[in-house]
Amino acid sequence: MQRRAFLSAVAGGWVASSVLPDRRPVHGRIMGASHSVGHALRGNDARPAALNPADIDAALPGREIAAPAPFPDRTDVLIVGGGASGLSAAWRLAALGVESVVCELEPFVGGTSTYGTAGASAHPWGAHYLAAPNPEARAALRLLREMGVVTGWDAAGRPMFDGRHLCHAPEERLFYAGEWWQGLVPVDALTADEREEMRRFRSIADEWTTRIGSDGRPAFDIPVRLSSKDPDVLALDRRSFAEWLTANRFTSPFVRWYVRYAVLDDYGGEPETISAWAGLHYFAARKLKSQELLGSHFLVWPEGNGRLIRELCERSQANVYTNALVTSLTEERGSVRATVLNAYTGERRTIEARAAVLAIPAFVASKITRIGGAPWPKRTASPWVVANLHTGWPANPDLPWDSVLFDAKGLGYVHAQHQQTVVTEQPVVTYYRAYGDADVAGARQSLLAKPWIALAEEIIADLMPAHPHIRDEVERMDIMVWGHAMPRPEPGFLGSDPFAGSPLISERIAWAHVDQAGIALFEEAQDRGVRAAEAVAPLVGKDPGETWL
Amino acid sequence: MTKQRRFVEPALLGSVFVIATSGLVYELVSGTLASYVLGDSVTQFSLVIGLYLFAMGLGSYLSQFLEGRLIDRFVEIELGVALVGGLSAPLLFRTYAVQGAFRPLLYGLVVITGTLVGLEIPLLLRLLKFSLDMKELVARVLGLDYVGALVASLLFPTLLLPHLGIHQTSLLFGFLNAAVAFATTFLFPIERERLVRLRVECVLVLMLLGSGFFVVTRFVDRFEAQYFGAPIVYSMQSPYQRVVVTQSPRQTRLFLNGQLQFSSDDEYRYHEVLVHPAVAALGREPRRALVLGGGDGLAVRELLRYPSIEHIDLVDLDPAVTDTFRSLPLAKALNLGSLDDPRVTVRNMDAYKFLEEPGTAVDLALVDFPDPGNYAVGKLYTDTFYRLLRERVGVRGVVVVQATSPQYARESYWCVVTTMEAAGFVTAPFHAYVPSFGEWGFILAGAEGTAPPTALRIDPSQLKYLDAAVLPSLFSFPRDLGRVEAPVNRLNDQALVATYTREWAVWTR
Ligand SMILES: Cc1cc2nc3c(=O)[nH]c(=O)nc-3n(C[C@H](O)[C@H](O)[C@H](O)COP(=O)(O)OP(=O)(O)OC[C@H]3O[C@@H](n4cnc5c(N)ncnc54)[C@H](O)[C@@H]3O)c2cc1C
Repeated sequence: MQRRAFLSAVAGGWVASSVLPDRRPVHGRIMGASHSVGHALRGNDARPAALNPADIDAALPGREIAAPAPFPDRTDVLIVGGGASGLSAAWRLAALGVESVVCELEPFVGGTSTYGTAGASAHPWGAHYLAAPNPEARAALRLLREMGVVTGWDAAGRPMFDGRHLCHAPEERLFYAGEWWQGLVPVDALTADEREEMRRFRSIADEWTTRIGSDGRPAFDIPVRLSSKDPDVLALDRRSFAEWLTANRFTSPFVRWYVRYAVLDDYGGEPETISAWAGLHYFAARKLKSQELLGSHFLVWPEGNGRLIRELCERSQANVYTNALVTSLTEERGSVRATVLNAYTGERRTIEARAAVLAIPAFVASKITRIGGAPWPKRTASPWVVANLHTGWPANPDLPWDSVLFDAKGLGYVHAQHQQTVVTEQPVVTYYRAYGDADVAGARQSLLAKPWIALAEEIIADLMPAHPHIRDEVERMDIMVWGHAMPRPEPGFLGSDPFAGSPLISERIAWAHVDQAGIALFEEAQDRGVRAAEAVAPLVGKDPGETWL
Repeated sequence: MTKQRRFVEPALLGSVFVIATSGLVYELVSGTLASYVLGDSVTQFSLVIGLYLFAMGLGSYLSQFLEGRLIDRFVEIELGVALVGGLSAPLLFRTYAVQGAFRPLLYGLVVITGTLVGLEIPLLLRLLKFSLDMKELVARVLGLDYVGALVASLLFPTLLLPHLGIHQTSLLFGFLNAAVAFATTFLFPIERERLVRLRVECVLVLMLLGSGFFVVTRFVDRFEAQYFGAPIVYSMQSPYQRVVVTQSPRQTRLFLNGQLQFSSDDEYRYHEVLVHPAVAALGREPRRALVLGGGDGLAVRELLRYPSIEHIDLVDLDPAVTDTFRSLPLAKALNLGSLDDPRVTVRNMDAYKFLEEPGTAVDLALVDFPDPGNYAVGKLYTDTFYRLLRERVGVRGVVVVQATSPQYARESYWCVVTTMEAAGFVTAPFHAYVPSFGEWGFILAGAEGTAPPTALRIDPSQLKYLDAAVLPSLFSFPRDLGRVEAPVNRLNDQALVATYTREWAVWTR
């Protein structure tokens, strides 16, 4: 079978659900990162059947699909991949006056930071927040400044934020022991031991936050490449976070749950499967402390980081071609040539460019370039499921942004309209679940084989403890399965020579993707994208001038 | 036969008692309702009592024309009283709520009930005259009639109104009337086919009133009426809040989500203080003004006292509130129709959105939101909001904010002051005593140099509370209301909501 008909087969989920007795039919479908098209890369020459435009249209309801424009023959810089990294490169190049073209295989831009607009509110399909960036994440801060989200810098050089974009109170709640608690730690419900362990964990995290390595750099930073190379700190990467937790006597069920929740949320891995370095990075890399961040330090929008994607597109005036799968990229005689498959029509085309930025994951990049000796890191990608639930809930002025269920399978849900100043009825909420154990291939296969109804039932069951009537309260549930959602920072992910290396993987091709950092964060994507753009600019005769990094 | 007689007499006399009691209850229900809704209880009660007595006389007079099948007539009249009297309260309320013809209905119902009750006693006398001698009969019937009246007048204010509420009281007595009618069909010999019809009628009426008794709690909640302390004359649930207007003989009150917004007998204090010191601080003729919240139109009423006012934008999220205060006669009497003034534009939108959109600068902005009791309202008390507001009034404009009670929620009040200052305002905090609320806090704010005003810009003869002597006193705080340290209320933590909830919990426990 060349391609699984994800988009259409699963509409059968609706039929199934309406046939099953005693079940109110929740409507919905699986949307999707087009695994089918991507798989065309496996047998490089096998020509996939063209995608059915009707399927594409349904893929992200509400997101307009531009009619497939004919691909251009040549450009200055070809950017492969229209996620946060690729669009950041386009944004940087546009500021330098360099012409670029972005080829994106999906019918929509944004990659894992994409979003939807169907229903009562725009909503995320992937990344949903950006923590207030460290002062070192200069590219991200520049974008936020351009957007007006950062309003300036205070006397201490810290960015100041427009409060409208910081997550409004109440930020989060936890369903624990049969009731909702404000915040993620139900202090009053914990035992004295759990409280003490929590306090100890926090104080260790605080120590790491201010720790400076022997090379004068902070132990952990974002972007990660600015972190310390102090061997004592790097030694953490040799064992799993779970081992570190046990060695440090963090064993109470609540603290273990809390830590597991946090790292699953950011890395898609459980403490057993991620490096202790990455685990501590989560708790100790954010350094921005100021009065205005005493409350939430998360920047959130209805469409999640889709807002940042939209801003990048607008600001770069990027020439984005969607449904454009780059199947090979070669470098010869001072130029690069890409073969691009139009997933809409099945046509192939060659684009010639003077340089290229590969803004795609390592496992795809290695396949289409075949550049000998290129330093592709080996990354394990965690699968994720994201679902948007169009609920019939009444207006609730105190509904927080994030609702988490203790000991649930998923990570709970975020409320898309939370930042609105008016309370809304029928909120749209986005449910997340990361598959964090070691068997990613098994998890991925089983997910991709499941029909909509099976996935929907799992999600309903997961939310049932806190919402016993959820089945009757959800009008529509669309589900996205991310087979390769994000790199997982496994023990050893930093490699033997961490944070080193140029973005250029050959003379005229640069690589920019969160896979490089091994940690999937928007700041990393921007840092990598901007860095790659600044590396290729001289190749097309432009001096990048002062760096944005 | 004699045995039955012996049973019939006390039963019929018992029904005299019920009839007398319920007759007076209907009278009291009508009188109470009329004075709630129309005010001026002396006039209302005299009118209702006068009409009622007259109608009873009319009924007695008309009774002479009733001939034959007296028992059937009696049962049917009983049912008529039961229906008209029993449904009178719910009917009148409904009519008032939908702004129907309240007065004609009121007086019509009083006359019909009175007439029917007036028919009953003579009919009863005629029914009983075969078993008792005249002297005894008249003495017993009239005696019971007056005792019934006494019982009703004692029960109504002490037990019925407070515990059942006006609707259930009227329905209960309707039900009793119908029960008397039903019982009558068992006491007297009636032809079989008529008997069936009469009993069916009785059962239908009993069912109607009985179910009404239970349903009415839903549509005008008795407990709610108790909670609000007065009958609800208007209520509706909008997407944003529950709007309730109550009316007692003395005052009209508005509640949003159960929170008192104003009481007609002292709202002038609140609104004079909200508006006139700000105009005084402006130091020039006010021309353009902005009212955020305040959909009741009362602040607008005060503003319109200045002839220099050219335009007022009233921004209130909830059309349910502004529509009510544009159309409910009771409400228009209070705001003097201010919302329909040609100088006023009502905008039903989010105040945030309004401030985010470009607009012309205003001289004055009056901010009159509900207290920050939840996170949605709390957003309107944040530094971010006040920054937007400061942009709108520019460097020459003046702002005034209602900021809960410095007495009951001292830290909350000063938290709002701190927050406004963090947003770049210079503030002049002040307070006034509003009996319905207690000591209430406001904040005057503007650019550098904003200070407590020293003289009003309006002739105090137009006002009821403020004058040159009171004005400066508002700006001085006694020691127990004075400034305390408080955090800045920011969108991302909303310290104010927690503080406010904690402080008020002490008083409402
Ligand atoms: C469910 C989920 C939640 C997340 N939450 C957050 C969050 O809250 N905050 C945060 O900062 N980060 C979050 N992330 C991490 C997120 O992945 C990064 O922030 C960032 O979006 C990664 O961008 P990228 O451009 O490096 O990679 P990608 O998003 O992977 O972009 C790569 C793009 O290349 C395209 N592509 C691949 N192969 C080809 C080809 N051969 N030809 C053409 N195009 C190709 C892909 O379709 C894709 O659009 C989340 C990720 C997921 C999956």
